[in-house]
Amino acid sequence: MNRMPDAVYREFEAVVGRRNISRDPAVLETYRAIPAQSSDHRGPHEGKTPMPQAVILPGSTEEVQGVVRLCNRYGIQFKAATTFWSVMGYIGSEASVQLDLRRMRTFEIDARNQVAVLEPYVIGGAIQAEAMKVGLTLNIPGVGCSSSVVASTAGWVGFGPTSISMGCASENMLGAEWVLPSGEILRTGSLGAGAGWFCGEGPGPSLRGILRGKQGTAGSFGVCTRMAVRLHPWPGPAAIPTRGTVPAYKASLPDNFKAYTLCFPTWEAYADAIRLFHENDVLFLGHRQFNMFGRDIKAAMIRILNDPDLQLADLPALCEDPYLKEQNEKMKIDIQVILAGQTARDTDYKEMAVDRILEITGGWKSEMMLDKELADWVLLYLIRMGHKNLNYVLCGAYEGNFGLSSNVYVSASVMEEASDLKRKWEEQGTAIAAVGGDSDMGSICIMGGGGSTGWEFFTHFDAYEKASTRGTAEFFNATQAWMNEKGLGVDMGKWNQSARRPDGFYFSQAEQDAMFEKLPQPLVTEYQFKVREAFNPNDLCGSYYRTLDPNRASRRRNEG
Amino acid sequence: MPLQDYRPMMERCSNCLNCRWVPFDKLKSLRFGENCPSVCYYGFGTYSARGRFQLGQSVLDGEVDESEAVGDIIHSCLACGACDVSCKVCRYNLEPLAHNLALKEEAVSRGWVKPAHRAIMEGLRTEQTMLPGRRKADRTAWQEGLGLKDVFQEKAEVLFFPGCKYAYEEDLREKTRGMVRLLKKAGVDLGVLGSAEACCGGRAADMGYADEARERVAANCRACGKAGVTTVVTPCADCLHAFKRQYAEAGATFEVLHVTEYLERLVATGALALPGRIPMTVTYHDPCKLGRQGEPYEAWNGVEKKIRNQIHTWDPKRPRYNGAYGVYDAPRRLLEAIDGVRLVEMERIREYSWCCGASGGCEAAEPEFSAWTASERVTEARATGAAAIATACPWCKGRLGTAVDENGDAMPVVDIVDLVLQAAGEVQA
Ligand SMILES: Cc1cc2nc3c(=O)[nH]c(=O)nc-3n(C[C@H](O)[C@H](O)[C@H](O)COP(=O)(O)OP(=O)(O)OC[C@H]3O[C@@H](n4cnc5c(N)ncnc54)[C@H](O)[C@@H]3O)c2cc1C
Repeated sequence: MNRMPDAVYREFEAVVGRRNISRDPAVLETYRAIPAQSSDHRGPHEGKTPMPQAVILPGSTEEVQGVVRLCNRYGIQFKAATTFWSVMGYIGSEASVQLDLRRMRTFEIDARNQVAVLEPYVIGGAIQAEAMKVGLTLNIPGVGCSSSVVASTAGWVGFGPTSISMGCASENMLGAEWVLPSGEILRTGSLGAGAGWFCGEGPGPSLRGILRGKQGTAGSFGVCTRMAVRLHPWPGPAAIPTRGTVPAYKASLPDNFKAYTLCFPTWEAYADAIRLFHENDVLFLGHRQFNMFGRDIKAAMIRILNDPDLQLADLPALCEDPYLKEQNEKMKIDIQVILAGQTARDTDYKEMAVDRILEITGGWKSEMMLDKELADWVLLYLIRMGHKNLNYVLCGAYEGNFGLSSNVYVSASVMEEASDLKRKWEEQGTAIAAVGGDSDMGSICIMGGGGSTGWEFFTHFDAYEKASTRGTAEFFNATQAWMNEKGLGVDMGKWNQSARRPDGFYFSQAEQDAMFEKLPQPLVTEYQFKVREAFNPNDLCGSYYRTLDPNRASRRRNEG
Repeated sequence: MPLQDYRPMMERCSNCLNCRWVPFDKLKSLRFGENCPSVCYYGFGTYSARGRFQLGQSVLDGEVDESEAVGDIIHSCLACGACDVSCKVCRYNLEPLAHNLALKEEAVSRGWVKPAHRAIMEGLRTEQTMLPGRRKADRTAWQEGLGLKDVFQEKAEVLFFPGCKYAYEEDLREKTRGMVRLLKKAGVDLGVLGSAEACCGGRAADMGYADEARERVAANCRACGKAGVTTVVTPCADCLHAFKRQYAEAGATFEVLHVTEYLERLVATGALALPGRIPMTVTYHDPCKLGRQGEPYEAWNGVEKKIRNQIHTWDPKRPRYNGAYGVYDAPRRLLEAIDGVRLVEMERIREYSWCCGASGGCEAAEPEFSAWTASERVTEARATGAAAIATACPWCKGRLGTAVDENGDAMPVVDIVDLVLQAAGEVQA
């Protein structure tokens, strides 16, 4: 690897100060994503991402701009990341610097306008805690509250359990300030018109749409240095009161909060219920959470997580417990919901609506989860979203597969078949954890109020053991083949396979061209090429923004 | 466990960043939400427990041989264990604190040592104390005239073990003597190790000097064994931790109690009265070694076992030190037993308390970092409106007592024992 010339390094150092830049191998090595940082949606991978030339901690928009300008001057790629949950935030070429935005952590809450203005290192949990002090809260994406709100909102999809009542990142993102890959500063939404932070769109074409769109552009449009997000009413106390012994903390919330695990006799009934929830607007939060552990072990896992003296070693015995087995059976097709009434009447109405939906669909409330201690644990878990690392609890790594569907009836109709496929791999091989086939963690809302849903089967594997990683990759090939057969599109575990190579490097333009010219709609990527040319003329932010060179495409078209 | 045995953990840590924050369920603000002083101060993710796992991997793989900073980074861990608690909210198979210590041990074995540690370790080797410049011959001066039993000569119900600070430091010695007088007045049959009293070794272990620590543990275990000690009471949180965990691991079977636990028992049973009134609002700083690291030792000798193909667990079940059973309530109850004392809590308390900055060898080797860590705590304490910080460890008291908050203002710091002595009429305010 070529080292950055000393003179160039000194220029970066002059921008951020000596303390805030490093090229010491000990630091650089820790800014390489490892295989355990799975769930990057490009399948289980081996090896690390490339080593950056330097890691830089800018502390302000001006410093970010200074760094980006130098990157342009010297043709150095850069990638900004803040909380680094997924590999998306890591650089993908050796001629790169990694920006870690942890020094940027100011925030301001405008309670009257229900807006929070944030710098990147303000995590979801912190802003929620601050917002609750003034009777507000925010949508915390499914990645959990340890993740940067700005990263989730500017960089990726940003849907979560409260999206049913609060919408997703694309809907909650208001005014924003960006340092574009060219080094220019762009202010979007009402902020760009000098009218404050309150609105995501400003006059003219949607810059929010270009810079993040629905899915987020994973750091391909430079650095969002500040943004406003919408806050939503919080009908609870100024702080979530907690009790219990670590890790089995519980919320002691008033009676207007209810947590239920709703269960259904069939997948059709489940889909009907979700449709009715979308239509009736009664949920504060809805998410299929605990099934991520797996159909056969979820009740035992809930027991473990609620008893400070239990641990994974207790799993085999608990899985044999007849009561817990029975609960697994009863919660086979389930979803967690939280109601939050604004008034006593509102709470009653919501309760009635839930009961009526259960009546219509033949569903029931899980008796085990009605236990007050468990319900209070669920309230804390899902409102704060502070236990997302349980995603990794079984094996240290997982990747979600199968995927998203525009309509819950699509996934519901194939859920058992998908489960059987996974169960077969669990039973016939050892690469993936055997948890009972169905390990779907279902997002019931990928846009505000309803709409598309997720069905992400958690496939737990051991990134330390190559046989497990490789076997899991083979399993994903099998699920992709099945998805193809069913016409279900790209498996979630492979979404980002066209964004970063298996060795962790970005794709070159030629490699992207070769992939994308075969797309059914190559024009999208051609259009993106043109957008990139405009915003990122030196191509400094990597291949998560898929582009197809129009010249190559037209040459091929002419040849064809 | 040597560093290479942590490789599976290094490779299974998924970078969730829990190790940088208090357990999220307990997060009350951004200002006081983080838990790892090292990553907060130095900035790079390298300094977090996750970064250290990856650094450990790079050390084993020889990828950082040209690093100038590697030793500094490794030794910048306070060994406070806040990362350990937060990590284990969700993970059942990672041991960040134990790994950080193994990394330090590896660094020491490779000669990546901090110059400031040399003098301390020299003092430990020659004078058996962590306080450089102090002499072994002076250690027992605090015992003079107290009529304490020498446990080698006479059996005593309780061995009082003051630790280096309470034995040597002039301003503390009087308090040590006061404590002894108070305990005796309450009818406790006290003894000391006499001239065999020496450092517990706990702080050496936190600095990565495992051999030296083991030597101290072995020597003190031998002494206690010879004297037939059954209960040890100490006012030092570091000593408590060493006795409770490292000594137990080395085979010791005596009961170990912090003096606040013992005093609280005496108050509860009526053996000790606290008639004095101290009108004061205090906030309590949980010492790491008494709180989250003060859990009882459980022996374990097992191996990793995979169940259900790939779920890794331990056979037999491995003790899970996560702060659940640390010593938090006794010091608080003792404070509340003093008439006039009002306790107000900081945001980061109990198992997710913020470290004072005195541990892990950082106070000597990284004084600015250590002072900043303490300053953060004083700022947090100030925000409660308390008039003073109460604590239960001489190292915390010393560190916080010499720190100032973010505005440059100091805050009075008292050991709970100081207040108890006052309330009991043993000393004047
Ligand atoms: C276990 C797990 C569960 C997840 N669950 C969900 C889920 O339920 N819903 C969902 O929507 N997503 C989910 N994700 C994806 C996740 O949303 C993103 O990883 C997250 O939103 C961003 O947080 P992060 O810590 O990964 O951020 P980072 O690593 O900081 O960045 C994520 C991306 O955003 C870019 N970025 C970061 N900061 C900025 C900035 N200031 N300006 C511009 N770009 C920036 C980065 O370059 C990177 O591409 C999940 C990821 C994981 C690992």
